[in-house]
Amino acid sequence: MNMAFDIAVSILLVIGGLLGLIGSFGLVKLPDLMTRLHAPTKTTTLGVGSVLIASMLWFAVREGEVSFHELLISIFLFVTAPLTANFIAKAHLHREGHKEDLPEVGDGTVWAGQLAPEDEEIDEPHFLPEKGVGDAL
Amino acid sequence: MPLALIAALPFLGALLPGLMARAGRNTAALVTGAVTALALLGLVLHAPAVIGGQVLHQHIAWVPQIGLNADFFLDGLGFLFALLILGIGLLIVIYARFYLDPSENTGEFFTYLLLFQGAMLGIVLTDNVLMLLVFWELTSLSSFLLIGFWKHLAEGRQGARMALTVTGMGGLSMIAGMLILGHIVGSYDISTILQHAEEIQASPLFLPAMILVLVGAFAKSAQFPFHFWLPHAMAAPTPVSAYLHSATMVKAGLFLMARLWPVFAGRPEWFYVVSTVGLVTMVMAAKIALFKDDLKALLAYSTVSHLGLITFLFGLGTKAGAIAGVFHIINHATFKAALFMTAGIVDHETHTRDAKRLGGLMTLMPITFTIATVAGLSMAGIPPFNGFLSKEMMLEAAAHTGWWGLDWIVPLGATVGALFSVAYALRYVAHVFLGPVRDDYPTQPHDPVPGMWISPAILATLVILIGLFPMTMAGWLVTAAASAVTGAEVHPHIVLWHGITPALWMSVIAIAGGALLLALHAPLNRLWEATPKPHAKAMFDAVIDWAARGARGLTQGLHNGAISRYLAIFSVVVLVAGVWAFFTGAYSPGTRPMTPLEPVPVIAWFALMAATVAVVRYHHNRLLALVLVGIIGLMVSIAFVYLSAPDLALTQISVEVVTVMLLLLALNFLPKDSPRESSAPRKTRDAVIAIASGLGLGGLIYALMTRDFAYPTISDWHMAHSKAEAGGENVVNVIIVDFRGYDTFGEITVLGIAALAIYALTDALLRGPANARLRGWVPDLKRAGDRHPLMLVVATRVMMPIAVLVGAFIYLRGHNEPGGGFVAGLVIAIALLMQYMASGFAWAHLRQRANYQNLIGFGVLLAAATGIGAFFNGRPFLTSDFGHFYLPWHLGEFELATAMGFDAGVFLTVVGAVMLALASLSLIARRAGETVNQTPMSTDPSKAKTPEEKANALDEAAAEPHDDASEEH
Repeated sequence: MNMAFDIAVSILLVIGGLLGLIGSFGLVKLPDLMTRLHAPTKTTTLGVGSVLIASMLWFAVREGEVSFHELLISIFLFVTAPLTANFIAKAHLHREGHKEDLPEVGDGTVWAGQLAPEDEEIDEPHFLPEKGVGDAL
Repeated sequence: MPLALIAALPFLGALLPGLMARAGRNTAALVTGAVTALALLGLVLHAPAVIGGQVLHQHIAWVPQIGLNADFFLDGLGFLFALLILGIGLLIVIYARFYLDPSENTGEFFTYLLLFQGAMLGIVLTDNVLMLLVFWELTSLSSFLLIGFWKHLAEGRQGARMALTVTGMGGLSMIAGMLILGHIVGSYDISTILQHAEEIQASPLFLPAMILVLVGAFAKSAQFPFHFWLPHAMAAPTPVSAYLHSATMVKAGLFLMARLWPVFAGRPEWFYVVSTVGLVTMVMAAKIALFKDDLKALLAYSTVSHLGLITFLFGLGTKAGAIAGVFHIINHATFKAALFMTAGIVDHETHTRDAKRLGGLMTLMPITFTIATVAGLSMAGIPPFNGFLSKEMMLEAAAHTGWWGLDWIVPLGATVGALFSVAYALRYVAHVFLGPVRDDYPTQPHDPVPGMWISPAILATLVILIGLFPMTMAGWLVTAAASAVTGAEVHPHIVLWHGITPALWMSVIAIAGGALLLALHAPLNRLWEATPKPHAKAMFDAVIDWAARGARGLTQGLHNGAISRYLAIFSVVVLVAGVWAFFTGAYSPGTRPMTPLEPVPVIAWFALMAATVAVVRYHHNRLLALVLVGIIGLMVSIAFVYLSAPDLALTQISVEVVTVMLLLLALNFLPKDSPRESSAPRKTRDAVIAIASGLGLGGLIYALMTRDFAYPTISDWHMAHSKAEAGGENVVNVIIVDFRGYDTFGEITVLGIAALAIYALTDALLRGPANARLRGWVPDLKRAGDRHPLMLVVATRVMMPIAVLVGAFIYLRGHNEPGGGFVAGLVIAIALLMQYMASGFAWAHLRQRANYQNLIGFGVLLAAATGIGAFFNGRPFLTSDFGHFYLPWHLGEFELATAMGFDAGVFLTVVGAVMLALASLSLIARRAGETVNQTPMSTDPSKAKTPEEKANALDEAAAEPHDDASEEH
């Protein structure tokens, strides 16, 4: 029984390590930023995920208690990794990207990063935090 | 009344007129007068004892370790001066009430006056050399404020500066001399020093000490060659001149000479220095006074001359000289203060004090004329006024004094001085009040209101009474004071008629010669104006200018504003000191065994090194440098974790996050690249210094870590007492909130002040030239659309409650496990920062109610209140208390410590400070044209169009050429 669990944990760890290695290799190997972005976000997320599962299994069986740290780590990872990727992509599109390379949105609007800032903001706001922050409240 | 209270009363009272400045002249004068009168009453109550020869002492231990005690003593000399300070002070208050214009800030004036009065009283009453220095410099400072009271007059400001410089420098010299005396005797008590005269005179340090003390005394009493500041101080309002520059402050130098008379007098050095300087000053100043047209300048030089006279008398080192000196101090104070006040009255009523424009005021201002004549004749030394008596005593003493084997030189000098004195005193009366009535006065002169002439009139009455009945009126005071000066019983006998003596003949010559000089004043004046004279102010200004330039050159050479230079100087000094210590000290290799090399630290070390080298390499790209600095911070946090310092790691990582976020926001308004300024040799120099310092520090740490501590560390004590005495298992947190609570309290106060300062500076910045620059600011990077991206907004909203929970958790467990108010504050601040970044400052700000300034204030107050709470337990400030409580429903034992309140204060201050820094940045952003969004995110899918709208929009898009500006969303 223990043996089986040890094997399972080992396999998960090896898979995690491999995915991490592939992700890092992809980061070096892939040609441009947009494709490179896939390597760490997807592969590494999966790799870390399998290490976390391995850890949960290990503690559940060996220590006899369920550990929630790994769940929390996964939640944070699943929140931060896509956000980071999204931001890197946005910044790249903003600074290097060309509008004509982008496909149509399909509903008549433009891509969010292509919005002109002045379109979405009003110039004379109803509240100016100029003098004495908080005083006006 | 205790002596300390007498000296303290004016200081305490000084608050009142300043606070009641709006209540008008009468109230201010009344309060000042009441304070002065109260102190005077307290002094007079001691009169019987002091006149009886007693010396009163009061001992208050202050910092006994360094010999600094607030000791006071009162003997005859101190009594005489205190009486002058308070008595004439009272008259001056009355006079000033009527002299000052209703439009002036009388409250401020009287506050300064009382400060000066207290400082003067301190000088004459204190029994401690160090206290004497404090009071001595306080008189210089308060006189600076008083001389420059009319801030709009350039000459007032310059005169005030000059007086402060000269008397203040003199004070430094004086204290050096006094410290030497204290060193010789082994005590800083003045009364002890006075009892060790022989010891001091035998010491090789006697002469330096005497010279240093005398420089201070001469500077204060305007003796040659420091006399030049007094005439320039005449730009002061006349009450100030009458009080400070005739009766009190300028006599502080004389007081010092009289006080130390038992120590110095009798030695030839004392005689030759003091008497010679006194005689030279007396003659020279008297001659200058004769040719001054400005009444106050005339009186100023005459004061210098009379101070020289008294200096000369003290310098003789004889009992007769001391008696005459003390007596002349009294007489001079009475007639000179009266004369200054009459000069002020003339100035006040005619709007000029130029002797050339005056004359014939006798019939127009009879009361003023009478007072001025009485005081003027006394100054001239005409019988039967009191000036005659002391001048006779001076001439008598001079007649028996030889100088370097020459018997005639001192009597001659004294006679010439007296002769000029007669001439200018008579001139003051004759050229202002006598002669024909003129028709070209600036205004129509008449006698002032009684309030203005009552003070000089009282003094003039004293002049006459002392002159007629010297023994009754002043004999007892002179006896007491002269006994205190000489340290032995003296029995002066002062009478108007001495019989035919050499002094009488000298007096006759002086009066006749003086009258002759006055008759010849016009041709002599032409001669005077034709002769070139050294101009003291120009010389002084040149010296000050030279000193200022030198100081500026030195300061700017060392502090040129480049932090690289400061760091280079600092590093090199430390390095040199360390290397020197290494090669001169006895270094032996440490004995502790080396720990095995683990892979994790090695990897972290390489990462740290790589990031550091990368920062140096890429520091011109500021964004990249910031990222790299962030990596270094993370590596340091990991090191803390690895080395079992979770508290530090938590703090480090949260500080790192906040710092990088705020710096990123600030970088928005800064150039993204640093200019390349340093030349190659300079870079090489800096690199050499940096590497050498780094290696040096590394070596130092290596040397330290390879050996055991020489002394037991405090850590063990902390470990042992943390749980037992403060009820916390987390030693780090207990140190922060309890053992070193004072430090933390100071730190959060500083943090709060820093945040407020950032905000205030930003506010000030936006009012200055930066405002125009920001308004015309063109972003150096293309602005991105979608500034408030959907994903970030949603994620931060989801994270907010989790972050708050984490913050609360870290705060609550802080006392026993890693965490605490500081980290919790940072976590909450980060969570808030994220909201502000996601949806924009203004949008997020509208949705909260806290005022960051108040948050900081509440935090500091809460921490202070918790600390004060310990008082109710009879314990010192910030002693924490704790207790264990059992929660219902078997939730278990729960601990509450007062330190949690303190930690809450830390928490609030940290949150407030971070958020206020953010608010400051947002102010700049707003000014640079940042617009404010109305929606939380740029594209909101919940407000997305229905399929029909989408189809319509597609049709429109197909019909029209593709154009961003026409897009709707």
